[in-house]
Amino acid sequence: MSNSIPEIRDLDFMLVIGSNTTEAHPIIGMEMKIARQRGARLIVADPRKIWLTEYADLHLQLKPGTDVWLINAMAKVIIDEDLVDKDFIKTHTEGWPELKANLAKFNLPEAEQATGLPAEVIRAAAIEYATTRKAAIYYTLGITEHAHGSDNIFSLANLVMMTGHLGVRHGGLNSLRGQNNVQGATDAGATPLYYTGFQSAEDPAVRAKFEKAWATDLPATIGLNLNAIMEGVKEGNVKALYVMGEDILISEPNTNHLEKGVKELEFLIHQDIFMNETTKYASVVFPAACFAEKDGVFTNTDRRVQRVRKAVNPPGNARPDCQILADFARASGYAMPDYKDAGEIYAEIASLAPRFAGISHERLDRTPMGIQWPCTSPEHEGTAYMHKDGPVKGKGTFVVTNFRPSVEMPNREYPFSLATGRVLYHYNSGTQTRRDSGTMDKVGECQIEVHEEDAAGLGLKDGDMVKIVSRRGGIKARVWISGRVQKGCVWMPLHFVDAAINKLTIDAGDPLAGTAEYKVCAVNLLPVKPGAERAERSELVESRPVLGA
Amino acid sequence: MADTFTITVDGKPVEAHAGEMVLRAAQRAGVHIPTLCDDKRLEPAGACRACLVEIDGQRRLQPSCAWKVAPNQNIKTQETSKRVQRHQDVLVSLYMADHKLDDEGLPVETCNGNGLREWAQECQTLSLDPVEAPRAARPGDKNPYITFQPELCVLCARCTRYCDEVEAVNAITLTGRGSETTIGTAGMRGLLDTSCELCGGCIDTCPTGALVEQKAIEILPHQIERKVRTTCNYCGVGCQMDLNVAKVDGIEQVVRVTSPPPGETVNDGNLCIKGRFAYDFIHHKDRITEPMIRKPDGKLHGVSWDEALKFAAEGMKKVQQRHGPKALGFISSARCTGEENYLMSKVARAAFKTGNVHSCAAT
Repeated sequence: MSNSIPEIRDLDFMLVIGSNTTEAHPIIGMEMKIARQRGARLIVADPRKIWLTEYADLHLQLKPGTDVWLINAMAKVIIDEDLVDKDFIKTHTEGWPELKANLAKFNLPEAEQATGLPAEVIRAAAIEYATTRKAAIYYTLGITEHAHGSDNIFSLANLVMMTGHLGVRHGGLNSLRGQNNVQGATDAGATPLYYTGFQSAEDPAVRAKFEKAWATDLPATIGLNLNAIMEGVKEGNVKALYVMGEDILISEPNTNHLEKGVKELEFLIHQDIFMNETTKYASVVFPAACFAEKDGVFTNTDRRVQRVRKAVNPPGNARPDCQILADFARASGYAMPDYKDAGEIYAEIASLAPRFAGISHERLDRTPMGIQWPCTSPEHEGTAYMHKDGPVKGKGTFVVTNFRPSVEMPNREYPFSLATGRVLYHYNSGTQTRRDSGTMDKVGECQIEVHEEDAAGLGLKDGDMVKIVSRRGGIKARVWISGRVQKGCVWMPLHFVDAAINKLTIDAGDPLAGTAEYKVCAVNLLPVKPGAERAERSELVESRPVLGA
Repeated sequence: MADTFTITVDGKPVEAHAGEMVLRAAQRAGVHIPTLCDDKRLEPAGACRACLVEIDGQRRLQPSCAWKVAPNQNIKTQETSKRVQRHQDVLVSLYMADHKLDDEGLPVETCNGNGLREWAQECQTLSLDPVEAPRAARPGDKNPYITFQPELCVLCARCTRYCDEVEAVNAITLTGRGSETTIGTAGMRGLLDTSCELCGGCIDTCPTGALVEQKAIEILPHQIERKVRTTCNYCGVGCQMDLNVAKVDGIEQVVRVTSPPPGETVNDGNLCIKGRFAYDFIHHKDRITEPMIRKPDGKLHGVSWDEALKFAAEGMKKVQQRHGPKALGFISSARCTGEENYLMSKVARAAFKTGNVHSCAAT
């Protein structure tokens, strides 16, 4: 997020695009509802009628994968209505003439055709955003999980910069990060592109700095991103994996193909709190401590570094991941320092990364609100919103974007467009939430949301079992005529190992970010004969072992 | 009117901000005024009457939670006003006549504490005959998390106002009339069959423990050994929460998750169903407890840490020697801490000379 969570309740306008906020980020959803009750306007752009639309002034129910059309058409309206922030563009940006020229072709009649939204509605949304001062945009994986995810984000960034909604307290372009420490993982340098603190892995000076600090020579080239590593596994170029805290055979797209590759790996280390699909092929399993059993920091979606504190001991011989990694490095012949605690590791990070230089465990312990980076010195109070004195990189670059359809469009054989996502009651691969009774009472099995008319056409009723097939695999789930999906679209949650949706999804990735296209792939629905269904309630729930009911 | 001015509370000057209520200014100055229905996150309700104070120029006592500050205002609380103290003695006694009492005649303690009990201990209570109040719960409610104990409800409506003003799902509401008034749902259905999202905010805001978490209902506050402030491990909002640790059969366990006070953290004391309730996984029997290696029989066998680490290091080194560092991949985790992700990148780059390190942060 360029801006902060506490600002939300004082906004006058919110555009939420590709974010099922009330389910995926419930507490940010609460803040949006508070803002709405205080009189802010809320526009939700989403192919699905998500819960948040019940609170929205306007729901832009666009066709899946047509975000670039919607956003660029809004941008063109803002130009045509002369509502651009000329001062901001002149002072803080580059590439405006090229962008303006390219946007000329995104006219409203064609946008209406492409997105399925009335031209007047697109126009009204654009004008309202451009003319409201305290206006912010929120997006999540509905924007990024496309083969053209980067184009979606560049288009949004163009919209934000051309209206000058950047570098101010109530505004910005806010990506709601999905996992507890997804921001912190990249911050820490678990990415092929950067060493910790976003220092380029291709920059020889950066490499030299880390070679000195880490007292060894380091690779001269950047490595493979996650999507490319998984491709390498499938193709047999990547021969060994160390997997920490992820079930790649549930979470990665096109898992049938990936599973074949994982079987062929020469060596696989898996480190986790529960056995899962990936463990089946592990050469070694390291038992890890969960968040309640260790110390450290998580960085949330508004760049807020906050403490994780140990409350109880890990079970049996499980150990904190830090300790396992350090011991493993030493067993592999690298002289990893003998850290006395996580605070000492954080101090090493802070000493190497200027943007975290002012953060320490001691300071975080005194700061219940956490500290938002950049925080460059112990006196620096942190950064509630970015780009205050103009874009951090100097000039904000307008990037010309053009519409590219999704890789796999529905056809006669696979007539439905499948999108995947989260429900409120579960979390990702479900290893944690499928082990709790109430979350299972709310949503105990995988359901596929189907449009009423599509269901009628196939002779399906609410609650029927159906087989969902794509070019890559098939799974079963129960039909839910939810009234939330458009005709021709279906939607499924990703939490259920019994109905592993990533057997269906396509492993096409965004060319820049490597992010997989979880939001659009083509599937068909085949009714399951009565008797062939099976109850898929997970076996994982138990009454609490010692506390009883 | 100036933005900030001074009022007098019990003879002492207190800084006040224009537009705020007397109770807020007093609380900020550390003045204790009892209240049941006040929650910083909610609009003032003036419902419970516990916070009544004497205000110069006002004939009647006024609710400090719903009375705006004004320059030179002179306020008296129970500390300096006999009238306020007498009001509180009577009011708390009336509440207790319609409340479950323990053997000592005090409002019962619950796993969620009981604000009425604390308040009664500050007052000279009167012995009144119990009120016959047929307030009903929802007997058919099968939800496993949230329990409503109607005999402890004081009808302050914090839960229903929270459900409306903060969570905005309006699953619960005040229903019925007179002494039958209770916390109801549409058609008195169980919470699982309403718009309730099981966020548990009603439990957090309930002042008397009428709404409590079902899971460890028998563990009272004094049995909690410590509360550990930490960051939720689910989504990216970064809610702060307090893990409540108690000994169960001699073993320390997380038995409850509670919210930090409103206004203190980024989540303003709010949590969702996952953060507040979905913690059973921590002490679940399926947790992996021993390092394991796959032996020639194709099965995983428990081994010592030394053996597992040696086996793992040799295995990775062999592949590195045979195929080069580019044949290795290190998958870090957005579920793990910053320090752990840093070490994973260091292991990949420094120990194995490969840049093939990424986390599920790719999205």
